[in-house]
Amino acid sequence: MAPPNRSARVAVLGSSLQRSKPNPYPSKARSAMVRRAVLAILVVVALAMLTISFRSPTSGVLHDAQSYGASALRPFEVAATRVARPFRDGYNYVSSLTSAKSELAKYKKMARDYRAEALRDAAASAENTNLKSLLDYENGPSYPQSFRAVNAAVISFPSGPFAQQLVIDAGTNEGIRLNTPVVSADGLVGRVTNPGKSTSVVTLLTDPDSAVSARDLKTRVSGLIRHGQGGTLILDRVPKNQVVNKGDWIVTRGTVDRRYPDEYPYGIPIGRVISVGTSDIASFLTVQVQPLAQFDSLDSVAALIPITRARSHP
Amino acid sequence: MTLADGLKAAALLFVAAIVQVSIFSQVDILGGSPQLVLVVLVAVSLLRGSIAGATAGFFAGLVVDTATLATLGMTSLVLTVSGYCIGRYGETTGRAAGRLPEQGSRSLSAASPGGRLRAHAPYLSVAVVTFLYVFGVLIVHFMLGERAPAGAVVRGVFPTMLLNLILTGPAYALVRRLVRPRERADFATEVQLLG
Repeated sequence: MAPPNRSARVAVLGSSLQRSKPNPYPSKARSAMVRRAVLAILVVVALAMLTISFRSPTSGVLHDAQSYGASALRPFEVAATRVARPFRDGYNYVSSLTSAKSELAKYKKMARDYRAEALRDAAASAENTNLKSLLDYENGPSYPQSFRAVNAAVISFPSGPFAQQLVIDAGTNEGIRLNTPVVSADGLVGRVTNPGKSTSVVTLLTDPDSAVSARDLKTRVSGLIRHGQGGTLILDRVPKNQVVNKGDWIVTRGTVDRRYPDEYPYGIPIGRVISVGTSDIASFLTVQVQPLAQFDSLDSVAALIPITRARSHP
Repeated sequence: MTLADGLKAAALLFVAAIVQVSIFSQVDILGGSPQLVLVVLVAVSLLRGSIAGATAGFFAGLVVDTATLATLGMTSLVLTVSGYCIGRYGETTGRAAGRLPEQGSRSLSAASPGGRLRAHAPYLSVAVVTFLYVFGVLIVHFMLGERAPAGAVVRGVFPTMLLNLILTGPAYALVRRLVRPRERADFATEVQLLG
């Protein structure tokens, strides 16, 4: 037992127990040093690998090792891919379902746009063809020289067998008057029967009230073009003693009487004779004419405005 | 860290790296793709500290670079630094001060010596390290003179971060179940007992 005047410190110092050897580095500092050393080594190794791999990406020991490593990892990657494939397929299926609706709407809109564009192109192409034909006619030898052409688009078509008229987008502002002849690139179409400021009504040759003085271009036989059966025309008032042959061209006759001037200039093609008939009781030949103008598909026409008062004679 | 724990962590990271290069690298959601290997690395680093984190990052990056035949060391370098930083965070500010572990606790913020690991620590770590990882890889590419599309990276960083945060909960729980958190003896202490 220790004497009473002896302190605990003296007891410890005086004991035979040896203190451990003092460590020059505290534990925390040593731990931090190890930690930083590990980090530095790993970073240096990574940088070294990075440098070597970057300098020789397709050759060298490191590249060979990497190739072997990739080959060794390949089975694991294949296995993971195979395991994940059903999930990926399911995801893609669901994803495609969710996006299908918006894609459908998008493609429908694209289809509508393309269809409208195609129709627009087709219409423009057809219109271009018509206009070129009209221009060819106006520059051609059969065009009446003392007339100028007012080209107009057809904006309304005959709506039935009782309305043999159409509306064009030109009127008195462009010089069109009552009875102004209207032609297409193929031939005579009709005449203006109701001119407006910027639109006009054209009565076609196929209208029951139409009558055009005409003649056979070859035999010079004259007659009156009226409407016939089934969209054809008839060269009426041709005496039986005159000769009209099948296949002859029929053109407008033009003015023959200064007191009653014809509205149509001479030489506008009307049609071609397709049949010539007669009967014992009839006074005139029955001459059926196929019109050249396609009345049911007119897109653009030309109204013939006289330049001078004088008309050409045959 | 015992050998068994080390092997488990290595196996986890190996599987994560394989899954990353063969599956998740092909996933593209809003311009981002999940980085499973990064999330697992964060979990390992938080649970086992900076040295284990740096080592795990180095070898996980090595596996990724090897499997993809990329420039060897590039991913290793970035993941090493990431693992170290997250490990240090887990050892220091990631833990609540002065709270001792509770016996038998199995919660996400389970007790560890030196204080409980804060509940938000894994999520905060993943968010920060995703940002640093993405831009770290971009910087390394840029310094090597390779193609470094910063615009695409910036556009993809937030979707990637979001996907990583979604993975964080289950990945951290799995890692914590397999890899034992560090014990008091593993931590450096201020006082060394005499004798």
